[in-house]
Amino acid sequence: MIEWQVLSSASKNLRVNLDPRTKLFLLITICILVIGGQINGIMLIIRPALAAISLILLFTAGKRKISNICIGVYVFFFICENFILPVMTGTLGFILLFFSGFITRLLPGMVMGYYTVETTSVSEFIAAMKKIHLTKKIVIPLAVMFRFFPTVIEEYHAIGDAMRMRGIRFGGKNIFKILEYRFIPMMICSIKIGEELSAAALTRGLGAPVHRTNICRIGFHFIDIFLIFLCIALFILSILSKIGVF
Amino acid sequence: MNSSKSQAKDLVNIGIYSSIYLVITMLLSFLSLIPVFHPLLAILCPIVGGVPFMLFLTKTRKFGMITIMGIIMGIVMLLTGMGYFCLFTGLVFGLLADIVAKSGNYVSAKKSILTSGVFSIWYVGNYLAAFIIRQSHYDHIIKSFGQEYADAYMSFYPNWMLPVLFAVCFISGIIGGFLGKALLKKHFKKAGIA
Amino acid sequence: MIKLQGIWFSYGNENTGDELRNINLTIPEGQVVLICGESGCGKTTLTRLINGLIPNYYEGKLQGSVLIEDTNISEKPLYDIAPLVGSVFQNPRSQFFSMDTTSELAFGCENIGLSEDLITERMERVVSDFQISYLMGRSIFALSGGEKQKIACASSAMMEPKIFVLDEPSSNLDIKSIGDLAKVIALWKEQKKTIIITEHRLSYLMALADRVIYMKNGEIAEDLRIEEFKNIPQKEIYNMGLRSIAPITFQHHNDKILEKEMLELSNFHFSYEKIPTLEINHLKIPKRSIVGIIGNNGAGKTTFARCLCGLEKKSAGELQIGRKIFSGKQRLNQCYMVMQNPSHQLFTEEVMDEVLLSMEDDTEENRELVNKVLHDLNLQGLKNRHPMSFSGGQQQRVAIASAIVSGRSMMVFDEPTSGLDFRHMKEVARNLQKLGAMGNTLFIITHDPELIAECCNYFIFMEQGKVLWSGGWSDLNMQRIINFFEATQYMELIHR
Repeated sequence: MIEWQVLSSASKNLRVNLDPRTKLFLLITICILVIGGQINGIMLIIRPALAAISLILLFTAGKRKISNICIGVYVFFFICENFILPVMTGTLGFILLFFSGFITRLLPGMVMGYYTVETTSVSEFIAAMKKIHLTKKIVIPLAVMFRFFPTVIEEYHAIGDAMRMRGIRFGGKNIFKILEYRFIPMMICSIKIGEELSAAALTRGLGAPVHRTNICRIGFHFIDIFLIFLCIALFILSILSKIGVF
Repeated sequence: MNSSKSQAKDLVNIGIYSSIYLVITMLLSFLSLIPVFHPLLAILCPIVGGVPFMLFLTKTRKFGMITIMGIIMGIVMLLTGMGYFCLFTGLVFGLLADIVAKSGNYVSAKKSILTSGVFSIWYVGNYLAAFIIRQSHYDHIIKSFGQEYADAYMSFYPNWMLPVLFAVCFISGIIGGFLGKALLKKHFKKAGIA
Repeated sequence: MIKLQGIWFSYGNENTGDELRNINLTIPEGQVVLICGESGCGKTTLTRLINGLIPNYYEGKLQGSVLIEDTNISEKPLYDIAPLVGSVFQNPRSQFFSMDTTSELAFGCENIGLSEDLITERMERVVSDFQISYLMGRSIFALSGGEKQKIACASSAMMEPKIFVLDEPSSNLDIKSIGDLAKVIALWKEQKKTIIITEHRLSYLMALADRVIYMKNGEIAEDLRIEEFKNIPQKEIYNMGLRSIAPITFQHHNDKILEKEMLELSNFHFSYEKIPTLEINHLKIPKRSIVGIIGNNGAGKTTFARCLCGLEKKSAGELQIGRKIFSGKQRLNQCYMVMQNPSHQLFTEEVMDEVLLSMEDDTEENRELVNKVLHDLNLQGLKNRHPMSFSGGQQQRVAIASAIVSGRSMMVFDEPTSGLDFRHMKEVARNLQKLGAMGNTLFIITHDPELIAECCNYFIFMEQGKVLWSGGWSDLNMQRIINFFEATQYMELIHR
């Protein structure tokens, strides 16, 4: 086995290595069941269960600080929604209800999305996209997009620095000027880099009409299968509850 | 020209312009941490996003490129936890925008501004979650707080807002198209790109 | 064997005129060819013909034929040329496609559909050839320019082409990385690859090239064996507009007497992700000097410059001039930084507006001043053009113009001569000297010994975030500088 692969996995010993396809399936499950789910019957269990899965995954990914914050926020609003609000009335209760409604429903999806982005290398993601037979016409732009995102951000910061250094500030000047100074050079610089990038990629055979191979090995493990079955079970339960079996 | 060799270049371009478009959208979205700005984003994002989009259109000559960009928007929004709704809106309005652009042979200035308007409607997908959450909350609120509260609650995202959002995104997209056209002339053509 | 026959080419946009005129060139297998010439002489265009980017990516009017092993590659799509010709470009930031090094190495082979096992096998070989196992599995964004360039070379080697085309590969590298690059080229030469390389920095290639082609105005002006080229006297080389081919000699700048008045820097500290990258407790620099900041990449030079300009909010350091003390925030209005990529600091659509932006208001008087400055910097004729349409050198001059009118007394230049030919380097040096003579204190981060010889009169040598030594042109310091540029000299590395 090649040395570097051992090295890179040793540093993340607690990490549960999920297949990117599992992560995406979980993400979609969470989006559908948590955002749209009812607040009664079996859904009272399914929603927090899915939230817990996303939060636990984030925790095991080694993102302690951010996962602790998310867990805290979620637990707080979950308790509000389920235990405090039913006995509370008045404006404060109403505001809390408003926030808890949104946060308990949106946070799990965001956490799962963040977890997916943080723990999936782009090559793994691309390999997964290929495995689910997504066309090259989407996979290639998507790969470029991920690759290019940090570059655009870098350009944005470099331009921000230059503005500070040159003392360009906008005391009362119009919003159009801010956008023009901030975004136009960013776009021009990014596009120039992008042209070089695409030339370089083409000299290395991108777009050849052959079956593209991929050295990135992904595959399902026990934990993947477990989570996928769990998701399917939760889907079935929620449908049963909707048609009134429970 | 051999079609598959320029296809690779096109696909890379889609990635690059999607990236720029998304960075701008996300930088603006930081405003949405202040709740008042949340609905305002439906105006701001399509307007500002119109600039890179119009630039993208100058590189678009083939059917499908705009649709792919729409799908990419959907995938990214899914990953940022905004729900799966943008997958649909991105696909549908990307495709419609593609049809509009195609009808102008990808060169008509008027059609390209209209394309920008149609494409921008994908952004409505970001708001659908709010409507669905509200809906599923409705019964619950009536039970525990009474009709009055439930109505107040509904007024944050009243039903009539959905068509309004569609219209707002469309019109903002058109404005963004004009803005992009103007900046294309002012900056990008002179700078030697586009 | 590469054969270019009767090539005429023009990009066919507003910069009219032919980019290449009547090129006839045969390159036998296994030859290392150095193509040199001033900026705009057509050498980059020539490389694009060989790797097929012309006419496949950059469109234009092309006459003649480019043959590799008797196939006309101008008629082939790029993906068919990719396994034949490997390319390395100038900018390390823009030529990688993946986020991590391992996928990047595999990228080309995956594109042409090689089997996974074969790719792994090749990768093990390339990794050991290039000695880059320590770079594997890492995010490319976190690598230094030199490391990125190594990965770029390794990635093109993965395709096992017979021909390598390198377009100014050393432009953004420090001395040490150039040594590494030289080793890579030596390895390819050993493997009997054909190598075509365009460069401004020539000295590191003197031990490697077999043949030198000098281009001028789109034509091949000279086609020499390396021995013949090496015999050209230095003066003649400069007349051709080329950089030095011999190690640089430094002279005492005794005519420049340093000021007594000092800039005093204290407590310049900075950490990146808890790793200290800058630790300067105390440093004195004579006012109105031209300070060369030298050291290898990663030594903290850019961090130092950013802290000096007040761009790093977290850095607490203080700068004292006379009795006045400037905090980081106050330094933002005292320092002007000309960035390595000046297009980051240009915002408007005309040069005039751009320079006026640095001034309080747009009055007749100010406009006159701007006109004068633009005239001094040879920008008069470009006044109404969009700064973003300029070449790097022209953009740099626009940035210098706005630095001058902003009335700041300290200016920082981040590698102002990277990728410049002799004439442009001289021009930058002249401008820097002019700025110095106007009473400004200049800080110049540079890897360019010729620029140092031309204009610096004080030095800061950095290593691991610390100032190892600083001072003027004393005998000791001169020896140190000579050692620095030579100790890492490429020649010895190659003749190991």
